[in-house]
Amino acid sequence: MKANDNGGILTWFATLYKVWRREFRLVFSDIGVMLFFFFLTLLYPVIYTLIYNPEIVTDIPIVVVDNSRTPQSRELVRMIDATQAIKVYDYAPDLRDARRIQNEHKAFGILEIPGDYAKKIGRGEQAVATFYSDMGLLLRYRAFVGSLTDVQLALGAKIQQENIGRLGLPAQSLGGLPVESEAVMLGDPTQGFASFIIPGILVLILQQSLMLGVCMLAAGSSERRRRNGGVDPLAVPAGPLTTIVGKVMCYVCLYIPICLYVLHLVPMMFSLPHIGNVGEYMMFILPLLIASSFLAITLSVFVTERESSMLVIVFTSVVFLFLSGLTWPRYAMNGFWTLLGDAIPATWGVEGFIRMNSNGSPLAEQTHPYMMLWVLAGVYMITAYLMTRYLYPSRRRDGLQVY
Amino acid sequence: MKRRILIQSIRRGWHTLISRKVFLTCLILVPLAFIFFFIDMMDEGVAMKVPSAVVDLDHSSMSRQVTRTLSSSELVDVSRKIESFHEGVTQVRRGDIFGFFMIPADFQRDALSGRTPTITYYCNMTYFVPGTLMFKGFKTVAVTTAGGLVQTTLVSAGMNSGAVSSMIQPVAIQQQGIGNPWMNYNYYLTNSFVPGIIALMVALVAAYSICEEMKRGSSISWLRDAGGSMVVALVGKLLPQAVVASCIGVLCQAIMYGFNDFPMHCPAWHMVLAMIMLVVASQAFAVIVCCTLPNLRFAVSICSLCGILAFSIAAFSFPVEQMYPSIGIFSYILPVRYYFLIYIDQALNGIPLYFSRWYYVALMIFPLVSFVGLPRLKKHMLNPVYLP
Repeated sequence: MKANDNGGILTWFATLYKVWRREFRLVFSDIGVMLFFFFLTLLYPVIYTLIYNPEIVTDIPIVVVDNSRTPQSRELVRMIDATQAIKVYDYAPDLRDARRIQNEHKAFGILEIPGDYAKKIGRGEQAVATFYSDMGLLLRYRAFVGSLTDVQLALGAKIQQENIGRLGLPAQSLGGLPVESEAVMLGDPTQGFASFIIPGILVLILQQSLMLGVCMLAAGSSERRRRNGGVDPLAVPAGPLTTIVGKVMCYVCLYIPICLYVLHLVPMMFSLPHIGNVGEYMMFILPLLIASSFLAITLSVFVTERESSMLVIVFTSVVFLFLSGLTWPRYAMNGFWTLLGDAIPATWGVEGFIRMNSNGSPLAEQTHPYMMLWVLAGVYMITAYLMTRYLYPSRRRDGLQVY
Repeated sequence: MKRRILIQSIRRGWHTLISRKVFLTCLILVPLAFIFFFIDMMDEGVAMKVPSAVVDLDHSSMSRQVTRTLSSSELVDVSRKIESFHEGVTQVRRGDIFGFFMIPADFQRDALSGRTPTITYYCNMTYFVPGTLMFKGFKTVAVTTAGGLVQTTLVSAGMNSGAVSSMIQPVAIQQQGIGNPWMNYNYYLTNSFVPGIIALMVALVAAYSICEEMKRGSSISWLRDAGGSMVVALVGKLLPQAVVASCIGVLCQAIMYGFNDFPMHCPAWHMVLAMIMLVVASQAFAVIVCCTLPNLRFAVSICSLCGILAFSIAAFSFPVEQMYPSIGIFSYILPVRYYFLIYIDQALNGIPLYFSRWYYVALMIFPLVSFVGLPRLKKHMLNPVYLP
């Protein structure tokens, strides 16, 4: 720690610069790390967006069992067929046959219209058709429900108008419903899947690639130490604080252009929701980079072999995805998981970035996630310091300690 | 003689497996931690009570009636009071609420005098699950409000109140979600992500343990112990892993279907068989990768990149037939895709095994294909070169 007592602040900065420069060289001389830092961040956002880019589920095949066989029942089927989500694949004579078609994976739903469907409409009673939906994918079910509800309302309003007119009731109720309602979708107006999930995934990619790369660098250093009797010949002699700060400065420098690509260009390329202010979310993402780097340095003591960094980090991507609340909302998690999520930089990064990017929120409204990111950056800096200071086997070299 | 070599090879594989903490962590601890994570986190099954708000600009008895109806909905939690549209949007952006329901000024007056006021509800769709649930809750209330008003009008005009309700909704389409009528998110995600994690971990450990022999230069002695046969060597290495991983996989299934009563409408052995085949197919996938790229770092990288992409490409949430064909085709090279289809057919829908036969066959094809590359792998094993 007392490596620089003869120099003072200027020497400290000089050492810091040396650590920073050395880390740059280490990054650019290591194919594995370059793969994580540049290749992964370049390619993954594009691959993920390409997977989800069709955005919505359309023309899901269903089978119709029409026991009524009347103009009314055919009208219902026509209206359902005309919706964006549903396509009538086939008619079946009975439920058993319809199920066979569904079992052969040719359709994902069955609409059964009862024999008295038209009769009931004619008598002014409620006619009930039944729709059986496959629940394998909730996205399909969601599309079914939305379309069928719309058809039910539209057809209902039409029949209702005819009935009221026939009964000779007040003209007031003739103009449809007395109260209209309108839904406005914020953030993701088309309700597209890519528009919903990609902004969050982008932030996760940033954090995970950074962690993978940093862990691999640390593991490389640890392998060199093992080979050289506990000393890493490529490490710059410096105190633990100087070492970790210098390294993190290097990573942040590298990641600023990467962030610009991932957070700004990718949403632009694929016309995802993108109404935030570039300067503001770059400001927002800065503490995420710092916090993730320090977290990675903290965790890297557990990674002693270059390849095992994969084994340790890879599956955490799935954990972090869920903890961020992207798929299962955070308000529905219990206290333990909320707390664990609080400790992950990406949780706050995802939350804040989505609101800035998709909802157009200014940085001023994201004080909570922003402050939390800085708190995490501070906390992980301390843990990284402690890990580097006490857990690495330190040896003296040229009268200086090497970390 | 042959049997002795096989036993010797298996014993060697078993010893390397239990001597490495990282392998046991990946094969045992990680899947178990995951299943606990998913089941405990999504304990409720449906994320009810979405934080949202009502903006009541009317303050009439009718608007308060609507607010009360909203409060009684299990889908939304409208306990927050917001006084203006602007405040609502700000709170949505800040993330305090996921959306709000706005009753316009003069709502009661306009509704009663037939001037058709418009209720507007705003849903933040940047989070799909809460956004969708809230949309459903808001829409129901908006429609029933209108229906209630029609009812009042018609009854006051002298119509039989029994006939009125069928007049308000002349056609109803009942929606039956087969297998998961509660729309339980836990059933849906745990059933797809836990096998995904198992497949990922099995493939990683297999690839790592095979290529590690090369990195450490021990691949020649590995082959020698197996009597020079690549197949025996691989069986010796992978069989112990497969046994451990299958046991853990079946334990995960027991936790899901047995202890937590997840829907399972098929005989248990259909799923147990699928799990064992998934483990073997994932190992075969790793062997294929190792044959193509016999280098520890590359093989492990490819396996983990594929494993992570599998969660998206295997179409656990977005259906394959809707993806771009050039992307969707990749879902068919992932073992976990077939396991997922078997799960939907068998456990969820409980259809006859006959209809899922091809998925089982597909899982069997992976080990067969892996044999093709073995000569190449053997050549590299005999000349181990480690590229750092």
